[in-house]
Formats: sequence, C-alpha cells, structure tokens
Amino acid sequence: MLECRDITKTYGRKTAVDHVSFKIEPGKVYAMLGPNGSGKTTLMKMAVGLVKPNAGGFFYNGNPVGKESRREIAYMSTEPYFYNWMTIKDVEKYYADFFEDFSTEEFERLMRRMELTSDMKTKALSSGMMAKLKIAVTMARDAKVYLLDEPLNGIDLLARDEIITSIVEAIRPDVALVVSSHLVDELERVVDTAIFMKESHLVAMCGVEELRITEGKSVVDKYREIYGHGGEETC
Amino acid sequence: MLKLIKYEFRKTMFSKLVLLFITVLSEIAYLIGVFFKIDRMLQVGIFGLCMCAMVGIFYIGIESLLVFHRDLNTKQSYMLFLTPQSSYQILGAKVIENGVSIFLTGIFYLVLAAADFSIGVLYIGGVKEFLDLADRILSSINININIHIPELFAGLCVTLAAWLLMVVTGYFAIVLSATVFAGKKYSGFVSFILYLVINWICGMVLDRLPLRGDTLTSLYLTTCSVLVLVALMYAVSGWIMEKKLSV
Repeated sequence: MLECRDITKTYGRKTAVDHVSFKIEPGKVYAMLGPNGSGKTTLMKMAVGLVKPNAGGFFYNGNPVGKESRREIAYMSTEPYFYNWMTIKDVEKYYADFFEDFSTEEFERLMRRMELTSDMKTKALSSGMMAKLKIAVTMARDAKVYLLDEPLNGIDLLARDEIITSIVEAIRPDVALVVSSHLVDELERVVDTAIFMKESHLVAMCGVEELRITEGKSVVDKYREIYGHGGEETC
Repeated sequence: MLKLIKYEFRKTMFSKLVLLFITVLSEIAYLIGVFFKIDRMLQVGIFGLCMCAMVGIFYIGIESLLVFHRDLNTKQSYMLFLTPQSSYQILGAKVIENGVSIFLTGIFYLVLAAADFSIGVLYIGGVKEFLDLADRILSSINININIHIPELFAGLCVTLAAWLLMVVTGYFAIVLSATVFAGKKYSGFVSFILYLVINWICGMVLDRLPLRGDTLTSLYLTTCSVLVLVALMYAVSGWIMEKKLSV
C-alpha cells in the first residue's frame, strides 16, 4: 500500500532520516514511536510530499507519492496550518472543495462530539481546540491511509479519549493508520504494529501481539528497552 | 484550478477591501467638492483617487509575491501542498489571480475616472463645455485609432508580457530562496536580492537579442522573447517546487 524505500533526508549537515525502509499494509494501525528529533515527523511529511528526500522515496500502490496519492492519503500535521482568516466553516468548505473523499456530514458529527462550532476563528482556538479541529478535518476524509502526527499533543485527558475514539472508528480492512506520539501507553491499546525510530534510523518494527507472545513485553516495555538503554532491537 | 484561484482571491481580499474603502472615501470627497464647489475637497478627492489607482495596482502586484513568500515559508504552505494539485497548477493559479486582479482593478479605476471626469465637467464646466470637450476627445481618439492601433496593440502585448515576466521572476526568486533557505528569517531578503539579479540577467539577455526591423516588428519580437523567458521561468519554478522544495 504505502512503501518507504531506503529513504534519506538531510538538512545541511544534520541527517533527519537515514536509509529507512518499511511497508504500511491496509487494515492495520501503526504507532510511530521515538523521542523528539528521531525523524518521525520528517518521515510522515515525506510520505505526503511536503518534504523531498535526498535519496530513496515513498511509493503509494507502486507509484511515487505526489498529486495523485494525496487524493487517498490524509495527513494531520502536528503544527497548526490553517489560514489566519479562516473560521471553522471556512476550513470545512476548503476541505470539501479540494478533497473528493471529504464528508461534510462526518465533519459536522465530529465537530458536535468535540464541542466545536463552525463560527469559531481558527487563529483564536486554544491548542486543545486546534488539535480537535485538525483531527476532525482529517478523519472526516474517507482516505485509504491516515498519517496522524502527534494527535494527542497538548490536550487534556477527555479530549484524548475523543481523539482515540475517532481513530478507532476509522479502522477498516482497506485502511491503514499511522499515529506518531510520545504517549506510548495510550496508543498501545489501539495499535497493531509499533515502529521505533531512534536518531534518524528505524531501529525496530514489531507487531504488538507478537511482542507480547514472543518476548512477553508490552510496547511500553519495548520503548523503555530501546530508548532507556540505547540498544538497537529488531523483531 | 478554479478552486485554487478562488482561494488566491480570498487571501488578498482584505487589502482589496481596504483599497476600496479608501477609494470610496476619496470619491465622496471628490463628489462633495464637485457638487458644493469646495476646492479643498476636490483636491483631496482627486489626490486620493490618483494615489489609490497607482499605489493600489502596484500593491496588488507586490502582495501577490508577499503571499507566495508566506505560502512557501510558513506552515500555511500545507494548505496548498497537501491538496491533490500539482505545483504547476498552484503557481498558475497565482499568476492568473494576480493578472485578473490587476486587470479588473485597472478597468475599475478607468471607469471611475471616466465617470468622475464626466460628472466634474457637467457640474463645473456646464453641459456645453462638456460636449465640446467630449467632441474634441472623440475626434482625437479617432485620429489616434486610425494611425496607431497596431502599435497600441503591440505596446499592450509588451506591457502584458513585461508584467508576466516581473511576476514570474518574483515567484522564481521566492522558490529558489525557499528551496535553499527553507523557513530562514532572511529568506525574504535573499528572495529580493535574487529577484534583482534575475531581472538584471533577463535584461541582459533581452538587450543582446538581435531585434531588428521597424517599431512594430521589434515590439512583437520583444514580446515573444519575454514570453519565452516567462515560460522558461514558470517551468523551472514548477519543477523545483515539484521535485526539490520542502515546505
């Protein structure tokens, strides 16, 4: 479905992603884990073509990602990115204008659930409200791949539950979800596979169930093992 | 692409509304001056309207470049580059929006000037003077049309091509700067320097072209040469955005 082939990205002398390869399969939820600066965000941005790699590339159904793949890949950035003049209604219209898979009804349902109203100005939203808006506008698309970069950042416990619920609702056999987060324990209950990034390398990609059965470890245990002791693990 | 153009209009709507507001104030001052024969108000109105027309059109051109710089160097770039549109479409929408805005603004001020002129002549000079003047203007236009229409058209073509070159050069400079100095604070200054350098190079290239023949031929050859440069810069800018630019 979505394949990352030996991808490398450098910013000047700093290597953000170094020869990373993996495949995202439909019907699965992936957690992309790693500390700040490990390359998670850069990887996600390369998957939608916002950042161009120096070598290698992302391929969607065998073709390099670009204009066509963006029709089926929904990306939620960790940073706010809406135009300052926009109200929530404007954001809804914008997405409806550009994305054929965007459902206005679904967006309005998510808005009601997240207690947002369409007349709110985006530049006046608190960080929690902005996180809710970003997740609502992304999950209102009927995409094949969802890439959610730190959707749980900076928001309270109740809002986190709403976002986790939205993620769970999107799980379907033909859909893949990739969620990056520092909040490993909160993600563990919904993910199938964990991708561990460390210092711009992919150090492990483990099935959560397989990890429990073969190593008797949770994702949190594995996280501590990889980042707590500096070892590079493979599953 | 129409949707992209629609949102490009929306991005610059505020400044256009401000321009319209100042124009309306100036127009009111002008009309008060005309109807109540107050010279001071007349002067304020005429000065305001002339400034709105000249500065307004110039600013619309500049604002297009400022918006593009913001679109490439802030997170708002995601609004464009996450949509299923190619970089060529994104760039094309910006060029078209700017062209249409400048054209419509020009027409608006021309019509307004014609209307104000008529009102002024009618109320200040009297109907007879106005008709005499209109007569003189019409006959003058007829003479000019008979003699200069091909050159006038060629001149318009050169102006349009020169405007396109100015805008596309600006976009090219901003794309180059954003690709190399992504998000850096001084990328705006670098874009400006690049803009001057690219303009200078374009000027050098055009100066060295062997544009022989009469005025008309020379004007058309200049237009074609400029359009080749425009196409080249548009294609290179689009390619860089598509293949190299990280936002």
